[in-house]
Amino acid sequence: MPNVRMIADGVRLVSEQTDRFKTGRITVSMALPMDEKMAANSLLIFLLKRSCKEYPDFSLLNGKLDELYGASLSASVSKSGEAQVLSLSLTFLDDRFALADESIAEQCAKLLVSMIFSPNCKNNSFGSENLAAEKRLLIQRIEEELNDKRTYAFNRCISYMCANEAYGKDKYGTVEEIGNVKMADVYSAWKNLLSTAIFQITVVGSSSADDVADIFAKKFEKIERTPVKPETVFYRRGGHFNRFEEKFPVSQGKLVIGFRSGMSNSKDNLAAVTVMNDIFGMGTYSKLFMNVREKLSLAYYCWSRLIASKGLVLVESGIDTDKEKKVSVEVLAQLSDLRNGKTDPEVLDSSKRSLKERHTFTTPEGICAWYASQVLEDEILTVEELNAEIEKVTMEQVCEAAKKLLIDTIFMLSAEGEEGAENAD
Amino acid sequence: MQIKQITNEKLGESVFCARHGSGLEIRVMPKTGYSSAYAVFGVKYGSIDTAVKNENGEFETIPEGTAHFLEHKLFESEDLNAFERFAKTGASANAYTSFEKTAYLFKGSENIGESLEILLDFVQSPYFTQETVEKEQGIIGQEIRMYQDLPDWQVMFNLLRALYSVHPVRIDIAGTQESIAKIDADLLYKLYKNFYNPANMVLCVVGAIEPQEVFDIVDRCIKEADAKLAERKFEKESGKPVQSYIEEQLSVAQKQFLLGFKEELDEPLLSLEDEIASEIVLEALCGKSSPLFKRLLDEELIDMGFGSEMFNGFGFSCVMLGGTSADPEKTSEIIKSEIAKAQADGIDPVAFERAKRKFYGRYVMCYNDIDDIANIMMNLYFNGYEPFAELEACKNLTIEKAQERLNVLKAENSALSVITPIA
Repeated sequence: MPNVRMIADGVRLVSEQTDRFKTGRITVSMALPMDEKMAANSLLIFLLKRSCKEYPDFSLLNGKLDELYGASLSASVSKSGEAQVLSLSLTFLDDRFALADESIAEQCAKLLVSMIFSPNCKNNSFGSENLAAEKRLLIQRIEEELNDKRTYAFNRCISYMCANEAYGKDKYGTVEEIGNVKMADVYSAWKNLLSTAIFQITVVGSSSADDVADIFAKKFEKIERTPVKPETVFYRRGGHFNRFEEKFPVSQGKLVIGFRSGMSNSKDNLAAVTVMNDIFGMGTYSKLFMNVREKLSLAYYCWSRLIASKGLVLVESGIDTDKEKKVSVEVLAQLSDLRNGKTDPEVLDSSKRSLKERHTFTTPEGICAWYASQVLEDEILTVEELNAEIEKVTMEQVCEAAKKLLIDTIFMLSAEGEEGAENAD
Repeated sequence: MQIKQITNEKLGESVFCARHGSGLEIRVMPKTGYSSAYAVFGVKYGSIDTAVKNENGEFETIPEGTAHFLEHKLFESEDLNAFERFAKTGASANAYTSFEKTAYLFKGSENIGESLEILLDFVQSPYFTQETVEKEQGIIGQEIRMYQDLPDWQVMFNLLRALYSVHPVRIDIAGTQESIAKIDADLLYKLYKNFYNPANMVLCVVGAIEPQEVFDIVDRCIKEADAKLAERKFEKESGKPVQSYIEEQLSVAQKQFLLGFKEELDEPLLSLEDEIASEIVLEALCGKSSPLFKRLLDEELIDMGFGSEMFNGFGFSCVMLGGTSADPEKTSEIIKSEIAKAQADGIDPVAFERAKRKFYGRYVMCYNDIDDIANIMMNLYFNGYEPFAELEACKNLTIEKAQERLNVLKAENSALSVITPIA
């Protein structure tokens, strides 16, 4: 069971103490509303990761990480519902394995605090060269999303589907917005982050999290906090759907079908929706795997993904462009069977067992990610609690959840020059 | 079975090793405090195995992509397929094929013994029909097409094709649409018989299970067989690449590149010490804390994804460096001159120590994850090493050895692979 405590207004520390791992991990998650400041926020997190007052240069900071037995530092930007979440994470070797007598955990916690609270900043500036470099890298990162067509198609489907919602925006902000960010914007984004973001510090490792809590609490004492909690709007659209298509010179097409799950918040009917999505298209016993892949051999992958923080379900498949219609029809036929109870009762048991298995984490990263993803939840849900809820789900509840699943948007990334004769009609 | 225990005191871990009468090697690492176990059943049969020895002792060519095709097909059986059987124990099962091996695996936290029995049983029970082979050709065909659109994958295989003229490391792991069309049920049975001999296989189990339970299950489930090793063909190549530059256009945002240095091998396998020395010297030379990384970043020639890799196996060995770049040629020239400089002046001892420390830390970190551990144990076995050999090799590495490995890299043995955006 995790230890949960508030160490400042809107700053929660969640820790799990265990000595079964050889590493420890700390993740600091910082949630902000998805507004016009997204681009500046994104640049900020990469600037914080680049250097800090103590190690005021990219090479020095990375040299320090190498000396800490290859401690691994990562920064990321993600969406959790309609919030932009900035994260900094460090994985480090447990003190027991150091070659000399030294505390790696303590040095790592201090390093993270130093990056967040004492950045490499002079006269309200992160350095124009640093900002220019991070702008280039971030813009490149966004443009490179095109390289992986599966992820690109997935994101495009969401952006079309949620075009009139904050969730439809790119998590980093647009290339244009990033280009326009000024130094003063980044500096104020940092000030804004410290005073208004919802923070969660997640700690997994062999030592007690008390020291980490103290180190962070002392820093927050000096900051006037007015936390702002981002809210997410859940839509239950239906009755009509849109189809969008983009063409690329590729060999395989990518089909993405976006559904609304009918959830009204991220925990609404969560257990039943999770099982329904799993039976629909997650496991090897799922309807999509068994039929689209195994029976019809139309695809190597065809699966569904639940985004509970926004109440969406997305089906993805890599297919021949001219098979779009055939695959879409089959996906909807499988959904229809799921709604009408045409599912082997054994599959429900398989799904429950498999979900429980997937909720058994064998790394500090897995445990950390589970808690960190709940940065905006009022109560921390443990895997044991969710598993207990999943255990109670009945086939009727699965059918009901499937009935609420409504198709919203189809996005097809087509291979150029492979017009589908089979799609015509 | 005689059981040997190998312990690493610093790590606080032990591996229990035994050899079954059939020739199957078994390695088990019990982990306290874990509720899950991970098991991998590996066969020394990968995409580089494009020839089998016949009764006359001659190598006969087989189609490309058979190891991978067989991996897909073994999950099938006459009644319940392997996925359906694992669904009853709750374990998540999977498999993968690489250049040198095929691996079948599961992770589970309940009914671990039962899952292990299923794993051993389905891998020993081939069942192929012409109908199911044809069905799989469709699925694998889509898998091949998926990889054709992935620039990271293409840039690597193009480099391998530029470096190697005959060694099968140059062919795609799944083969091609044409080569898999030549596969039928009879061929699969023949290849199964050749490669899936217990003497050619290893079982590694890590996590919440007692070693004795694993040995008992093996005794019960592994069929006795005449131990017969499948011989691998050593395609010896000179250090010279086929071509020094290769380019392909794909739907990408920016240019991607991979610079490779080929090494001529007298023996098919590099020693573990040599392999680790190369990894560490690369890290010292172009890791994130190196002056080279900083310079390339400041000159806007790379991004954070720039990295290097030692890539070696049976009959092949090369170093690869690459990522995204606006100017791959210029970037490659800078890298080559930095390598030449370090060869002439010697490696910076501070950078070497830092890189060694980083690798030591990362190797220890691998012993967290039951998945990583089992795969490391399997690879060590297939290459003829005892458990934990990589930790010792890393700890004992000298700067002289690292320098020696650096000096293997020669500009005339290099090739550059570039993916450019379609105009």
